[in-house]
Parts: sequence; structure tokens; C-alpha cells
Amino acid sequence: MPMLNFRLLDSTLLIDITRLPGFDHITTSERGITVGAGVQHHALKRSPDVAERLPIISHTMQYVAHMAIRNRGTIGGSLAHGDPAAELPLLAILLDAYLHISGPTGERSARAEGFFLAPLTTNLNEDEILTSITFPNLPQHSSWGFEEIARRSGDFALAGAGAVLSIQHGVIADARLAMMGVDETPRRLPAIEAMLLGRAWDVGLRRLAVREVREQVNPMSDLQASADYRRHLAGIVAARALNSAWAMGQAR
Amino acid sequence: MIRKRAITVSVNGSAYARDVEPRRLLTDFLREDLGLTGTHIGCEHGVCGACSILLDGVSARACLCLAVQADGREITTVEGMGEIGRLSLLQEKFRKHHALQCGFCTPGMLATAHEILTDAAPLTDNEIREALSGNLCRCTGYEHIVRAVSEALNESLGGAAAGNSSDAG
Amino acid sequence: MQDDVRPKLIGSRVQRLEDPRLLTGSGGFVDDIQLAHTLHIALVRSDHAHARILNVDVDAAGTLPGVVGIYTADDFSAKPLHATSRMKGYQSTAITALADGKVRFVGEGIAAVVAESRYVAEDAASLITIDYEPLPDLVDPRIAAASDVLLHESHDSNILVSRKFARGDVTEAFANASVRVKDSFRFHRKTPLAIENRSYLADFNKGKQALTLYSSTQVPGVIRDALAKVLAMPGHSVRVVAPDVGGGFGGKASLYPEEILVALLSRTLGHPVKWTSDRLEDLLTTSQAFDETIDAELAVDKDGRLLGLKAEILGDVGAYSIYPWTAALEPMQVAGFLPGPYQLANYQAEVVAVATNKTPAGPYRGVGRPAAAFVLERLIDMAALLLGLDPVEMRRRNLVQPDQFPYRTGSGIVWDQSGFTECLELACKGVNYPALQAERSAARRAGRWFGVGVASYAELTGIGSRMSAAPGMPINTGTETATVEIDASGAVRAAFGVASHGQGLETTLAQIVADELGVPLDSVQVIHGDSAAVTHSTGTYASRSAVLAGGAAHLSGQAVRAKVLEAAAFMLNTDTDALDIEDSIISERGTNKTLSLMEVGRAVYSEMGRFPLEMRAELDLRATKFYDPEFGTTTSATHIAAVEIDPETFIVTVKRFLVAEDCGRLINPMIVDGQVHGGIVQGIGAALYEEVVHDQNGQALSASLVDYLTPSAAETPKLEVLHLDTAALGTLGGYRGMGEGGTIGAPAAIANAITDALSHLNINISELPATPERIYRLVTQAIKGDT
Repeated sequence: MPMLNFRLLDSTLLIDITRLPGFDHITTSERGITVGAGVQHHALKRSPDVAERLPIISHTMQYVAHMAIRNRGTIGGSLAHGDPAAELPLLAILLDAYLHISGPTGERSARAEGFFLAPLTTNLNEDEILTSITFPNLPQHSSWGFEEIARRSGDFALAGAGAVLSIQHGVIADARLAMMGVDETPRRLPAIEAMLLGRAWDVGLRRLAVREVREQVNPMSDLQASADYRRHLAGIVAARALNSAWAMGQAR
Repeated sequence: MIRKRAITVSVNGSAYARDVEPRRLLTDFLREDLGLTGTHIGCEHGVCGACSILLDGVSARACLCLAVQADGREITTVEGMGEIGRLSLLQEKFRKHHALQCGFCTPGMLATAHEILTDAAPLTDNEIREALSGNLCRCTGYEHIVRAVSEALNESLGGAAAGNSSDAG
Repeated sequence: MQDDVRPKLIGSRVQRLEDPRLLTGSGGFVDDIQLAHTLHIALVRSDHAHARILNVDVDAAGTLPGVVGIYTADDFSAKPLHATSRMKGYQSTAITALADGKVRFVGEGIAAVVAESRYVAEDAASLITIDYEPLPDLVDPRIAAASDVLLHESHDSNILVSRKFARGDVTEAFANASVRVKDSFRFHRKTPLAIENRSYLADFNKGKQALTLYSSTQVPGVIRDALAKVLAMPGHSVRVVAPDVGGGFGGKASLYPEEILVALLSRTLGHPVKWTSDRLEDLLTTSQAFDETIDAELAVDKDGRLLGLKAEILGDVGAYSIYPWTAALEPMQVAGFLPGPYQLANYQAEVVAVATNKTPAGPYRGVGRPAAAFVLERLIDMAALLLGLDPVEMRRRNLVQPDQFPYRTGSGIVWDQSGFTECLELACKGVNYPALQAERSAARRAGRWFGVGVASYAELTGIGSRMSAAPGMPINTGTETATVEIDASGAVRAAFGVASHGQGLETTLAQIVADELGVPLDSVQVIHGDSAAVTHSTGTYASRSAVLAGGAAHLSGQAVRAKVLEAAAFMLNTDTDALDIEDSIISERGTNKTLSLMEVGRAVYSEMGRFPLEMRAELDLRATKFYDPEFGTTTSATHIAAVEIDPETFIVTVKRFLVAEDCGRLINPMIVDGQVHGGIVQGIGAALYEEVVHDQNGQALSASLVDYLTPSAAETPKLEVLHLDTAALGTLGGYRGMGEGGTIGAPAAIANAITDALSHLNINISELPATPERIYRLVTQAIKGDT
């Protein structure tokens, strides 16, 4: 809408899909949680099913803009918009989500990773809409962490990270790390994930992770922050997200 | 020639049937078509919060809503919250605590505060500040607004909860 | 005040009379006013910072249904307006409704589309194409100052005004100094960002050949006088009304081209014409401020006493010298207030105000004082550090002492009297300074970057006719008028030349009038914001209304009270000094004889036969009085800030903020607190978040509220304010002006606190806003320097 108000977007036909039936359900299955594209941020934030199965989503949603935006903004809207500094795209790739897409040629499912192509550009064709997203359940005994840095509460993140760990026998058995705001799209960092395996999170690993994450990202410069500063922050938010995930795992 | 659409919107309990261009913003519809000028326009890109109203009971930015999207919905604007001589609880507290100066951000601030009260959860001052972070004010420095909302929230919760009052903040 | 009148309302936390309408959405801001047959304007604005306009093609736009006309500068014959000044060497600039042949900043209006709705006007505006001949963009003021390329062809340089200040012997002072500290300070551009964008509605009455302009302005009287000139109309046929105005902070205190434009168009078209700025236009064209580079050096003796101060001040004042303040306004105030509230005999400053291809600069809360306080308070802290002195102690030794008033500063400004040292002590006590220092020590031991910063400042407020923000500018701000009248119903009307836009003057001035007359608060209606309300007016700016309008309210109230008593004494067959008035009842002491104000009013206006003929020539219940404090008074405060910086992300959090201030006698403590709070948060914004950014081509990059950041409630700490609350000696009523202090003291206090938090890295904050990006660079550099 802001783009329309700025007259940066010019359309002869605007289609309101918010009243399409069946878009605003959150359903659970043994596979995971499927969220309709029309589900509003605040509904996702408050869903008891989500809080129970994927609390990382419930927690992260508090960072999405402000109350009034969360009341009307939708999951589908955020994912289709594809801002590289937004929380929903990060969660989608962190949790290996599947995006369900519908168009004149039929239905398809796309993996979240690979859906986001460039800033504000996704794999959706012009004649397709997102209908729902499935977040698979996390493995049992997963712990998680999320950290974002913004200039002000509710602003787009300068950098953000989400981490999911599985800790067994005192070391990291499985790791996921996704970042936002530090590249043209949200990104998983498989090289870092691999580096963490078999190790315990300690001061040394933290230092290493901070350094390596900074090597991996390609942040952009803008009015709010330079690429250098974002790169610096990338290391910090990743370390803090991993730290939270580790601490949560230890507490269990 | 842009073809107009017929919409019916309930505002402050009254139904209004109008024909509008699809591109007409809800802010302009409320202010110009219905003469409800209490909803103010500060930025038209959803940041300042001055245009916040209640849409089906929850706060929303009227500047990010097309009038046609309000078809069949219920809107509460500041005019529906209270009147001179019979202010709402929030309006009373705002007045008591001097939580407004120029008054331009106030209707939007009241809409958000309204939702805080509707959520009926006890909040610390910092949590109230967080909840109000989507409404910019240049006049008050927020201090008195937080006091007003805090007192209204405590009173509406029956004075029981929010053990952290304004001293904790 | 009369001896027998005990103030009941003055000094009390009275709820505001403005609030009921503002709380219920029944306020009347300019854009709320809907007149029949109003036409709307969309402006086509320059996207070049500096260019000649070769051609404006309106053919496609003109054919859109609903478009009434498209106008450029050629369509108007009105003469340009200049803001005059007596300052030597000052060069004025021509202000026109639309750009005339040339554009000088991105956002300058070139063409105006008039249509039946704003939507259609913008549709048409997007079809207009403009051919430009680009000219070199002069964006860096240093380059602009030296350049042969002139923004205004009739000028001999882009330096609009310059001046030197000198007092005492700075050379000797520096030669004798034990310690010299210096730095190059940079305060970046800000915009006042009122939440209500500027809005103007001109209604020309063809029959009466008279214009009413509803303007979102702080200065209706100034606008009226200027428009009468520009439109070549007599003053009685031009009326400017500022209804409810949604904040101003100085950004609405000048005459804007769009005000001239709507007036001209309404006259031409015979319909009401409205223009409401959108936020992008506000960010591009509302006057901006604080854009200063100050190279300054302080000389101090071994005991920490200030010996001398020298400074070179470069003000980037944008493309035009605004009306009426002139481009001299801010740079001169930086120089004038740089010596601060301290004992400092030797001072030297050179000030240059340079035109650049950016938005014109104008007043913004604090004007030059925020930059001045930032510089001096940083220098004092730098010297204190070298001498091993606590910053509070350093200030204690140097503030002008109570027995030194009146004190003439190095710039020639005279502090009449104010509680400088008392504010410092009160602030320290209020914040529990030793405990705060202990908290800092504990935090540092734990590896946290915690800092405390202090800033003391003084300013002149309520200035009278002998003072000027810029000598020779087109208006004199030094007097204010109050007309108080009681009608036949006993109701009181008090009209002033001020224009409240958030300050609650409808309430505070009513408090004064009500106390003087002995009537309840809600029987007084304050009229303001209307050039027709009193014979001559300017408006509300420069922290003047409490002092000037308050003083005039006292005088006028007293005069009307005397008339009431005279009439009542006659009616009760007694002497005036036997009478009291309370709650609108006049009573004779020691008897049970009473009269209501309504009875007196009715007698005076409808039963005048009761009074002897010789009384009747002067028989009314009305008085107009003026108040000119001549010089003005001193307002001061000390601000103390505690900040914590995240050592990994460099995000600054303001943990605590306390102000101890002397604003004289408080009319309404709630309103004073509100003003201080609002100023502090704008000061926090100026220190940490706000910056108008132009690129090297003069393109305005701060184009939305996502770019230009101001603090929300979540970024703002709890604010603590303490008042001295002692009457000022030199003003009628004992008031001092206030309202701007928050932006003056807060950036300095926060800059000092951040420097303190980074002291282990030897970093000096010399540039504001201190964004995380800037702190990151400073820290990275400092760490590299160590290894």
C-alpha cells in the first residue's frame, strides 16, 4: 500500500484477495503446521498451536512492525513481498517450509529456500498466488534462538538471525542458521551449520562463528547502515541466536 | 474514467452507503465523504500511526486501507469513542495527565490505546511503550501518554494487576 | 498582580480547555475545513538541485477531466518577497510562489495543477514534463562559499551573511592557558517534523474583495502582513487564521511559497483553493535546521577556569533566506550563545551563512542554541578530563554565580538573572549524582559501556523590542497585545496575537485573566491564531508567549477589573477598594452586598442610563494593553543523561534523563512539564536518530519516515523534570519563556554521556547524530589505532 500511495506502483487492476475463503486457517497435522496465506501476523503470533509446536515463530512475530500492521498484514503478503530484512521469509527458510502456490496452470509447492530470488523478488509468477505455507515440525529436543538489531522498535532489521539446534551428548548434533538483512535475500548458512556439528558452544566456537559468518554474508549499504557495519552485526546476531539456542538446550 | 464501486461501511455504529473509486483511501473516505475529520493523515505510508482507527475491533492504519476494503466492515473512529461532556476512560485519563498537546496524533494514539485496553493484559510501562511504538508524537515526549494509558489499563483491569506501575518503567 | 488578588489558577495543574475537542476528534485543523467548491492543488516539484527551467509541458495534463488550470511562475505578476536585514553585507533572496526560471533545491515547486480533487490533480501532475538545463550542484557549503557559480545571480557570492564577534583578548587568554582543547564539531541537518503536514486553504471573497487564508502556521500576523504586501491588498482585507495547528516547532514559523500560491490562485479563480502537503513534500520543503560545522577551541587554566573561547561557525542555510527571520537566524544564534552560562571574558567567533542547493533553513526548536551547547559542553568535558576534574565540578567553578548578575557574555548577550548554579545542584541532587557515579563504576567493572553526561545551558526568552533574532529583519517580535472584554452576559473574551499550536495557551492565558478578574477558568475564552483578533500580531515562536502575552494578559486583566469595580462601586454606592471579586461575584467587604458580573455587564451595556453621563464615554468593560519586556529574560537548565552502549552492536540506550530547570514562575506545571518532555525527546532524536541526508547531487535521500527516524515511546526513557519555580525579576508576572530547552540541553548531555561511555577508547563525540554506524566506525578506528 505505501508503494501505491507514493504512486511508485501503477496498476489498472487491483485484486483484493483478502476475502477469498479458506485462506485464513491455521491447521496442524503430524507433518507440521500449515498457515493460510491470508492469516494475519497477529493471528499467527497468538495461535496456541503455533506456540506449542513452533514457539520460535510465536516469539519472532513480536518483532514484526507494530500492532496495527500485524493486525492487517498477512503471512502470504510478507512472503510474496520478499523483503530481505523481514522475519517471515527468514522463518520460512530456517524451518525448511513449503510454500503452496496456485495459478492457472495448477498447484505447486516450492521449497522456501530458493523461493526468494532477489530483494522484493520471488519465484511467484505474475499469475500465481501463494495459498498457504507449511512449516514442518522441528525434530524433538530442538532448541532455538532469534536475534535482530533494528534502529528502533518495529523497524526493518539491520541484521537478524534465527538458529535451531539439536544438542546431544553435550555437543551440537544438528544446526540450522538463517539470516536476514545481510544479503539480497534471507539466507541459510550451510557452511556455518556444518562447522558447528560435533562441537559444544563455547567462547572459542563463538569467536569462530562470528568471524566465519562475517565472511559468508554480502550485506548492502543504505541510509541506515553501511555494508561493513551490517557485516559486523551479522556476526553478532548469529552468535546471539546460537547462544540462545544453546542455552535453551542446556536448560532442558 | 475510473468506475466507482458501491460500498456499505459501518462507522461508529451507523451504516453508510457510498460510491467510491477503488483507489480512494479509507482516510479520505472517512474525512471527506463522511465528514469525520477526527482521523488525521500524517504520512500515508503507515509509519506515523496518526490515522489509526479500529477495524472490526482491532487497530489498523486507515491510510493503508482502501475504502473498498472496508465494505461490510465495522469501523470505530475517535468520534465513536466518546463525546464532549462524556469522555471515555482513556480520553479522561489523557486529559488528566496532559497526554496531548497539539492533538494531531491523539486520535491514532487513542485507537492503539484502545486495543491495549481491549487486550486486557497487565503491562509494565516498558511494555506500554512497546505497544505505543507505532504511534509517533512530536509534542509530548510520550511520558504523560504512558501515564495515562497505564492508569486507564489498571483501572479497566480492576486496579488489580500490573504490579509494576509507573515507578518500575 | 494586585495585592488583594491571590492567584488561584496561576501555578496550578489545571486541565486544558483545548482538550475536549481534541480528544473527541472535533478539532479543526486546516485540512478538516471543507468549503463548498474548493479546488485542490498538486505541485510539480523539481527533481534537480540546481537547474534552469527550459520548458514546462502541460499539454497532456491539461486535458484530464477535472483539471481547472495549470500554473507556473509566468502566470503571476506578484512581486517577489525578500527577507530584509540590516546586517552588513547581507544578501537577500527573492521568494516567489513558484520557481521563476530556475530551481535551487530538490522539491522546489515549479508548476501547480488545480483540479476538483487532489487525486485528479496528482494524476495530471504526473503527466507534466519539465526540461531542465542542469547547473553545478552546490551541496558542500565550503565549496559553495568559494564558488563562482551563484545560486542567486544578483549576488556577489553564495555567502548570504557573515559576521565576527570579538570580546576581550583571546590571543592572550590562549597564551596563558594550561589546557587547550579543540575539535571540529558537526551537527547534521534536521527537520521539525510536526505530525500535521503544512496545509493552506485560501478563500477569496469576490464580493468583498477580501481574502481569508486558513493556514497551518505559527505566525498568522506575520503571514497577513506579508501577503497584504505581496497581493497589494489593504490589511483589513486580508485575514490569516491559524485554527488548530498540529505542531510547529519553528517549521511553521515562516512564510511559505505555497501560502502565496493558494492566495493568488483563489483570487484568480474565485474559488477556495486548498493545498495540503504530503509527508514527502514536508521532508523536502519544510524549512530545515541545525546544519552547522563548528571548529572551536577552549582555553582553560590549571584550576579549570575558562579563559577564552574561539570558534569558526559555518552554517549551511539552504537555497533561500527565509521570511521573516533571514538566513542569519541560526548561525548568528550559534555564535551568540556559544559562550554559554559561564564566566568567560575572552571570546572570538567568525560566522558564515552559506547558501547551498538544499531546502532553505529556518527556525527549529532551540535554533542555534542546541549546536552551541553541544560544542561548549563537549569542550568543557574535554578540558575537565585532561585536568582530572569531575564535569560537574568544572561547571560549578565556571557558571555565572548568583552575585554576578546581570552578566554580559563574550558575545554581548546579557544574562539578567537565572538559577544557573541552582539548576546544576538541583539536577545533581535529583539524579543522586554520587549514586549514579557509583552505578557507572559498577557497570564498568562488569564490562558494560555505561556513561553519564551533564550539560548546562542558558538562553534568552520572552525577548522584547530591544532584542532581535536578526537585526533589521522585517518584524519586531518584542511586543504582545491582549484585549480583554466582558460582555453583557458576564462572559470574558481575551484576544491575543499569539497562535497556540500545542502549548495550551487557551488555558494558561485564561488562567492569568481569570485570576486577575476573579472569575472561574471556564468563563474565559481565549482568542488566538487570528490576525483579525488584535490590531497587530506576529504569533508564537521563540518562547515568547508566556512572557509577552502573559504580561499583556495581566495588564489588560487588571485594567478591565478596574472598570468592573468602578461600575460596581457606583452600582453598590461604595468605594472600589471595598470590593472583591471571586467566582464572578463582586462583593463589598464587611457587608452582604453583592453583584454578579452578569449584572454589571447588563447594567453597563443595556442599562447605561443608571450611570451618570460623564461616566458613559468610558463606560465599557474592555481594555487593550501591550507588553514589551524590552530585553527579555534568561532561562536556564542543567540536563543529566545516563546511557548504555551495547559493546557489540553499538546501539545507544538512554537509561535515564533528568532536567532541572529555571523557567521562572510556572503558570501551569503540567503544561511546562509537557513542553520539557517534548523538547527532550526531540533532543534525543537530534542526538541519536535524526538526520536529513542529501547526496552529492543535492538529491534528498531522507524521503520518508522510514529514512528520517524520530524516537517512538519505545526509544524514550522515563523523563524526570525538576523546577526551581522562583519568579523572574524582570518580567511582568515573573515568567520566563520556555519550551525550547529540551532540544538545547539533551543533545549536549547525550553526547557527553556517550563520550563518557566510550572513554576507555579515548573517543570524542564531535558529530551528531551519534548513530550506531558512526559509533561503529569510531570504535573500529580506535581499536585499530591501539593495535
